[in-house]
Order: sequence, then structure tokens, then C-alpha cells
Amino acid sequence: MTARVALGALGVALAAYGGWLVVTRESDLLDVATWLVAGAVLHDAVLVPVVLVLGVVASRWLPWAARGPAAVGLVVLGSVTLLAVPVLGRFGARADNPTLLDRDYTAGWLVLAGLVLVGVVAATLVRSRGQARRVGRGSNTRSG
Amino acid sequence: MRAPAPEAFTSRLHGPALAARVGPALGVCFGICFLTGLLSHYAQQPSQPVPFPPGPAWGYRLTQGLHVVTGTVAVPLLLVKLWTVYPRLFDRPARLDVRHLVVTALERLSVLVLVASAVFMLATGLANSAQWYPWSFSFRTTHYAVAWVAIGSLVLHVGIKLAIVRDELRRPLEHEAEPSILSRRGLLRSTWLAAGVAALATAGQAVPWLREVSVLGVRSGDGPQGLPVNTSAAAAGVTASATASGWALTVTHGDRSVRLSREDLLALEQRTEDLPIACVEGWSASGTWTGVRVRDLLDRVGAPRGSDVVVRSLQESGPFRTTVLQAGFADDDRTLVALALGGEPLALDHGYPARLIAPNRPGVLQTKWLDRLEVST
Repeated sequence: MTARVALGALGVALAAYGGWLVVTRESDLLDVATWLVAGAVLHDAVLVPVVLVLGVVASRWLPWAARGPAAVGLVVLGSVTLLAVPVLGRFGARADNPTLLDRDYTAGWLVLAGLVLVGVVAATLVRSRGQARRVGRGSNTRSG
Repeated sequence: MRAPAPEAFTSRLHGPALAARVGPALGVCFGICFLTGLLSHYAQQPSQPVPFPPGPAWGYRLTQGLHVVTGTVAVPLLLVKLWTVYPRLFDRPARLDVRHLVVTALERLSVLVLVASAVFMLATGLANSAQWYPWSFSFRTTHYAVAWVAIGSLVLHVGIKLAIVRDELRRPLEHEAEPSILSRRGLLRSTWLAAGVAALATAGQAVPWLREVSVLGVRSGDGPQGLPVNTSAAAAGVTASATASGWALTVTHGDRSVRLSREDLLALEQRTEDLPIACVEGWSASGTWTGVRVRDLLDRVGAPRGSDVVVRSLQESGPFRTTVLQAGFADDDRTLVALALGGEPLALDHGYPARLIAPNRPGVLQTKWLDRLEVST
């Protein structure tokens, strides 16, 4: 308990110092506040609802064997795509500096997406074979 | 439309069992980012109560590569972590007495601060690593200030949740025969896989042998003389002054002063050092630099050891036009006024006619297009 209280007090002190730094050194507080709030709101009100809807769609329309692999694929490709937005959009590219953002990011992303897709399809096939074998053997594993 | 109640989320992928497993990994990433970030911030301070050491030469490269890789890896970890606790967003207070309401409100406020600052740190850090600045605030000041908010609210959060994490980690994740979409173990493995893919897909900008697989790295590592460029001569506005025939490096100490043209510098004893150039944006590469030891130049104006040196660039503006080369770096044998890279005359974008290169130093302080070295007295 003492350790937890100490952690709590230390945390409040560190965060308060950060808050003081923001307020005293910042030139455009409104822009900082916008960015702070926008990230949390976009995540909670847009990103998660979209994934929840995808989950409902997957559990209704995808065959059982494909659901798990598709979810793994979504976690991997979804999060990597999100963190690659700055390079995929090439927003920071500069004509005077060809060493910056010097890859074909669309091609790179397509290769990555292709690999994920191959993995999802392969895992789905393995799982549906396994399911068929269990059913064929007449094992009485309960489902659901 | 009404907000859903927490009970409406029936998936077993929400809840403390997974939060307690992804959370600590995320906490470690944020801890590494915070410490390596503080180190970089300190290394850029002109006046340092404890001098930043010039060795090991690869220290800054390693810590800042780690900073950006752990920050990148934290993206899938944070997304999954927030997913596991998402239903808590719709929690209603259990009782209506004032004390409970106040405690609940404070705890929720701390979580809001943590989530907002954590997302902010990752989003601004990733954009900065790709030199994208879609905001009006100063990246360096704000990323530094909000880092304290993020780490503070994280430490507070650990204090609040420590007991839950300990209990959860004592209970093994049970085997689920027929999960509706993905089992808990399945989501946990997917998270580690996503973190690994994120690292491999981007780390090549700091780890040369990963260049071929890092298809989403900000830099391939190519560039003039085999080294990437952060600021070009055109962007710095020095193309004319750096190629002017009358260029000379001025070295001053009190009323003693020497002016050395590129030919004069080339006539002095030349040294060759393998030193990395490592940028705050997370990319780094090693180069073979040849030029004159800074200490040899300081000796020519009779500067005693232990003197700080003010380094001025031909750049007419920018925060790093004038920097301080602390005594520890100025006196190090590996610190050079470099005239050549990889055996060829320095490319204009790498700082021709002469640039500073020192071990274990932030890239922004490896001043290009040198104009003056002024020994502080």
C-alpha cells in the first residue's frame, strides 16, 4: 500500500511538472490542446467503433475457420498501417532532399499486406482441414 | 442514441486478464522512450552541470534508435491495451455518495490524461520522424513537456492498478476451446506479432542489416557518399556562401585568431575516424570522416584544454546555427573538422567545405558548413 501511495504521489508530481512546462513554454496552447483531445477522441469514437463493427461482420459472415486468422491479420496490418500513415502519405517529403522518404511506400505496404493475406488464407485452410478431420473422425467435441 | 453499458461488451478480449499482460510491455516501452528522450534533451543543452560524455561513440546512436523503435512498437501495444479496457469508458459510478463520486472522477480524469498524452506522444513522434509537422507548436518543446505528463500519469496509473496486475498475472490464461473470433491467447500472440512486424518494417533507418526488410522506414540509408541528409544546403540557404572562393574557417581565442582556407586545412595533419551520424528523428548511419582534429586547431590559437567552443555555421537562421561544443568533445581526439567523407571531398549537402563531427553527439549539433570556432574564455 505504501508503495502504491508513493507511486501515485510521484506520478502526480511528474505530471504536474509536465503540465507546468506545457503552460509556461508553449506558444500555441490551443493547438496543443486540440492535438491532445483529438487523438483520444478519434481513437474512442472512430477507431474502436469501426473495429467493433468489423468484429460483428466477421462473426456473422466469415466462416468459423477464417475468423481467428482474419482477426490476427487485422491486428497486425491495421496497427502497422496506422503507424505508417506519415510515410504512406509522404507529407514531409521535400524536393531538395531526396534522401528523405526515399522508398516506394505503397509497394512496400502492398508486399506487407500480401504477406498478411497469404498468412490468413493459409491459417484458414489449416484450420478448416483440422475441423473437417475432427468431424470425419466422428469425435464428439462439443462446439459453441 | 444512448451510450452502451459496460456489460454490453461481451467479448472475452476485453478485461483485466489481457490488460495486465499488454500493459507492462507498453509501460516498459514508454519508460525506455522517456529515459532515452531525456538523454537526448540533455545532450542538446548548451550548458551541462554533468558534462555529456563523448564516449561510447555509438551511445547516442543506440539510445535514439531505441527511442524511435520502442515508440513505434508501442503503437500496436497501445491500441490493443486500449481495446482491452474500452468498456470501462462507459462505467457508471457504483454508488452515489460524494466521496465515491470524487474518487471515481479523479481516477477517470487521470486515465483521460494518460490516454490523451500517450496517443499525443506516439502521433507527434511518428510524424516528426517522417519530418511532417501538421501543427503550429514547437515539436521539441511540446514533445518534451507532454512526455512528463505521460510518464507521470503512467506512474500514477501503475500505482492505482498494481494490485490488479499482480492478481491477474498469478492466474494463467485458461484455454478456450471455441472462441467466437479470437481467444485471449490468440490476441496476445497477435499483439506480439504486430509489435515485431512494426519494428522490422521501420527499424532499418537505424539498423543497417534491416534496410532490405524495413519497407516502411523513413530513409533507405542511401544518399550522397552513402549517407542520408537531414537538412540540404538549399534548405539551409548556404549554397552560395559554402561554395564561395573566399571561404575560410576562423578560429579565435581571446585576441588570437587564425583564418584557414580549405587548402590550408588540407595541408594540416589529416586524421580519419569512423563515426556515426545519429539524428533525433531516429535515423543513423556510420561514415568514415577525414579532416583536422579540432584539438589541433585549438592548439594553434593557444586555447587551454577544458575550454568550451562556440561553433558557428554559415546558416543565416535556424536554432542550431550556433551551438556549443563542450570541452569534453572539443578535447576528444576523435572530434574533427571533417573535409572528406568516404575518401571523397565532403558533398555540399553533408557540409562542404567543412563540418564538425564528434563521437556520441546529436546529429543537430554536428554543425555543417562551418564558419567559425570561437573558444569561450
